[in-house]
Amino acid sequence: MAAVQDGQHNLEVEKDIKTEITNDGSGNINANSSSPGSTSSGGKSKSPAGSGEDQQTLLAVLQFLKRNKLTESVDILRREAGLSADADDSPVSESAGAGSGGVPNVGADGGDANSLLSRVSIATPVAPPATAPPKVVAASGGEDQPDVNVVLSAYSQQGDPVMYPLYYNGLKKFIESVLDCHRAELSQVFYPLFVHMYLELVYNNHENEAKQFFEKFSGDQECYYEEDLRILSSMSKKEHMKGNETMLDFRTSKFVLRISRDSYQLLKRHLQERQNNQIWNIIQEHLYIDIFDGMPRSKSQIDAMSGSLAGEGKRDANKAKVFYGLLKEPEIEVPLDDEDEEAENEEGKPKKKKPKKDSMGSKSKKQDPNAPQQARIPLPELKDSDKLDKIMNMKEATKKIRLGPDNLPSICFYSFLNAYQGLTAVDFTDDSSLIAGGFADSTVRVWSVTPKKLRRVKSAADLSNIDKESDDVLERIMDEKTASESKILYGHSGPVYGISFSPDRNYLLSSSEDGTVRLWSLQTFTCLVGYKGHNYPVWDTQFSPYGYYFISGGHDRVARLWATDHYQPLRMFAGHLADITCTRFHPNANYVATGSADRTIRLWDVLTGNCVRILTGHKGPIHSLAFSPNGKFMASGATDSRVLLWDVGHGLMVGELKGHTDTIYALKFSRDGEILASGSMDNTVKLWDTLKAFDDVELDDFTAATGHIHLPENSQELLLGTYMTKSTPVIHLHFTRRNLLLAAGAYNP
Amino acid sequence: MASPKTVPKDAQVMIQILKDMGITEYEPRVINQMLEFTYRYVTTIIEDAKIYATHAKKNNVDADDIRLAIQSRMDQSFTSPPPRDFLLEVARQKNQTPLPLIKPYTGPRLPPDRYCLTAPNYRLKSIQKKMSSSAGRITVPRLSVGAVSSRSSTPTFGTPSVQSVTTKVGTPMSLSGQRFTVQIPSSQTAASKSSTPSTPTVQNVLINPSLIGSKNILITTNMVSQNLASESLKRKHEDDDYDAL
Repeated sequence: MAAVQDGQHNLEVEKDIKTEITNDGSGNINANSSSPGSTSSGGKSKSPAGSGEDQQTLLAVLQFLKRNKLTESVDILRREAGLSADADDSPVSESAGAGSGGVPNVGADGGDANSLLSRVSIATPVAPPATAPPKVVAASGGEDQPDVNVVLSAYSQQGDPVMYPLYYNGLKKFIESVLDCHRAELSQVFYPLFVHMYLELVYNNHENEAKQFFEKFSGDQECYYEEDLRILSSMSKKEHMKGNETMLDFRTSKFVLRISRDSYQLLKRHLQERQNNQIWNIIQEHLYIDIFDGMPRSKSQIDAMSGSLAGEGKRDANKAKVFYGLLKEPEIEVPLDDEDEEAENEEGKPKKKKPKKDSMGSKSKKQDPNAPQQARIPLPELKDSDKLDKIMNMKEATKKIRLGPDNLPSICFYSFLNAYQGLTAVDFTDDSSLIAGGFADSTVRVWSVTPKKLRRVKSAADLSNIDKESDDVLERIMDEKTASESKILYGHSGPVYGISFSPDRNYLLSSSEDGTVRLWSLQTFTCLVGYKGHNYPVWDTQFSPYGYYFISGGHDRVARLWATDHYQPLRMFAGHLADITCTRFHPNANYVATGSADRTIRLWDVLTGNCVRILTGHKGPIHSLAFSPNGKFMASGATDSRVLLWDVGHGLMVGELKGHTDTIYALKFSRDGEILASGSMDNTVKLWDTLKAFDDVELDDFTAATGHIHLPENSQELLLGTYMTKSTPVIHLHFTRRNLLLAAGAYNP
Repeated sequence: MASPKTVPKDAQVMIQILKDMGITEYEPRVINQMLEFTYRYVTTIIEDAKIYATHAKKNNVDADDIRLAIQSRMDQSFTSPPPRDFLLEVARQKNQTPLPLIKPYTGPRLPPDRYCLTAPNYRLKSIQKKMSSSAGRITVPRLSVGAVSSRSSTPTFGTPSVQSVTTKVGTPMSLSGQRFTVQIPSSQTAASKSSTPSTPTVQNVLINPSLIGSKNILITTNMVSQNLASESLKRKHEDDDYDAL
């Protein structure tokens, strides 16, 4: 059929060739140019029959060509189709007009022309809708959600519903018959194709056919898509689709597949030879095929990277430069002291993979090429108290124990008793002197870990009575009478899911299901501010390593960057397809990592708000993230019980740690990054050797370009120790400044 | 606990739903919660649909009414987060503004007071000066908390934290942080249960005995308050009010 068409229409051939060339570029153009190509060829082949539908199709194509000023092709088409010059005006003009912007749903039967145009226009980049939907054709009826219908109208009838299983089966047989090396790659197509075909059947109200289709082929899909398939099976009517945001997002964002050029050619040739273009249409519209030149990937490689809701990340999504180095520590005047001087020398050094305690001779003043500029984002200047803190920090750092495979840290576990499954969030201060717990009864409790009790500042009445000139005025302002081991903070109206201390120990943040993030003062133990912005549960929040900024992420799929003195967020990071479950700052405070229920991790640039990395590979919602202290690597844990290690600079997966048997809720690197501790719902804490894991990474040009790494199966060697708790899931880990590991969880008999 | 044989049919439906959605472990109360939710949701929808039907002057509730009822409830109770393209657009606009510079040396960095929760959330009320209707009453000049005059003569006062004063007819105010002794002249009602003799140097405060009945309050003040004409006393003495700071 392709050959016949090419004979008739020069333009078709041209377009096809263009498609080939632009394949490596944006797939959107791919879809854009070839879909009218293929559909018009479909229409053309039937035009002698002259049915009304085909006429409409033809007219729609004509309109499209006119709009894109392809006048020559317009003439050719008109001549060939035998259309008169004026036949193509009014009946289609309205629908064409409607189709250019958002197309409200005209119903499944009416307006293949509309649907064609809507498909074409939707294929243009998903960037914000440029114009409001233009005036709607009166026949469209009162649809109050043009966005949803724009999205869903792409599903309007494309083929006979009964034939769908046959199409799918045909493709299945084809893929089973190809060479082994291509089969793994082409099998990637099954899942998105299955979902889109099913959704099309549902959208067009073919409930029975949809159910049969589902039953027949859902068992063939990969096991890690099981959760999604279950949700899909619960949607059997069009109305169900409208309510499910995740499915809508799945539809609008193209599912990304990475296929080698050879495999892709095979697939394309096969599909274009067949009589029906159904599957090809779907692939064109809903899939983004990222083609690379090189060896096809093996099944294990593919499995490692796939699993997210929208396929894998595009290669060019991970190409932006990320400044992963650390910011230079400011100079602090310290009293002349051998210890301190040595510690100070460490500050000016460029980034190093294994920071050494014994400093190299000279302080390097050069800017680390991988570190962001000091003033890239405004950071609060250091107050005197901060400088004192830093000096304390350095002094303690000198007493840090060097950890390694032969020198494992001691672990001190803090069990929350009588929490009755109500403990939802825990945090330690950096100097490990305070613990805060967020509970399902909407309280936040702060405990003092050291013998020093918690004191609040005296009230205004008492403060006026104290002697302000005395030396120990800072002690006198504290109220001794209400000193206690723990303080309870009331204020939230829903379970508290995220909690974070500020680095200067003055503030505590808590985020809750009521949609607010609250800032509490640890001097007065009262609530200072409630930041309202998310209208849905906020699952996680964290202060930046320098204080002043904090991030929050929640059910509304957006992460926000706030500053404590602005009541509105400064940045909004939108792009995830499902809830954001975990938010972490990079140690240099210039980047934010968010893990989400759509099984991807995205890295955002604080300065511009752009997403600079999309990391896929987890097969379940991500619940914990940790950056290594040198900023180069990141670890992530999810409900699929795996810990994945990532190289932030290249955006590649560099390791996979298998061993846990349940969701991993806590991840922490030791102070020098030599050991990674992971805590999970299976009541264990496991320690992993990160030096070895990151040493093994080899990066040649090919892997850097395509991102395909052979992950060695060395989880067993990297595992340094497993420590069981007494039926206490571990939900937080913290390394003290001396590399003692603290862990926290609620005893759950 | 009902044995499996006698579990009601609706509960069995719920169990089946959980099984179909792949949920294998759940507390037994989940079934009850699901049943309650279903019942409440369905009755709400049907009631709404009935209202729509009667509004349209129809005798029977039909599918359109139900559809309308569901739609309105969806927008009200079961909202979903905004669609992705909207979020992308808003984010794009928000991210265009550069990050604001940080002013140095500003103490605690908090939003303007309007957006904080640091303001006091209470105000102290004053006792209003009122013309008495009966001869035996003693009228009282307005009691203003924190007024200099009151403070100077009662060194036992702590510093009240609020300066503003509202008047309310006949009601003695709540004076947090102040201690008062009240002496109720015996010519007043018999209901008074506590009459503590006051020190001779302190003038008396007349408090509605019904108020005092519940608590034993020690009040010393310059002012005298009258109220007996009252109106039920809205204010509640809590002992906390009088705690020392």
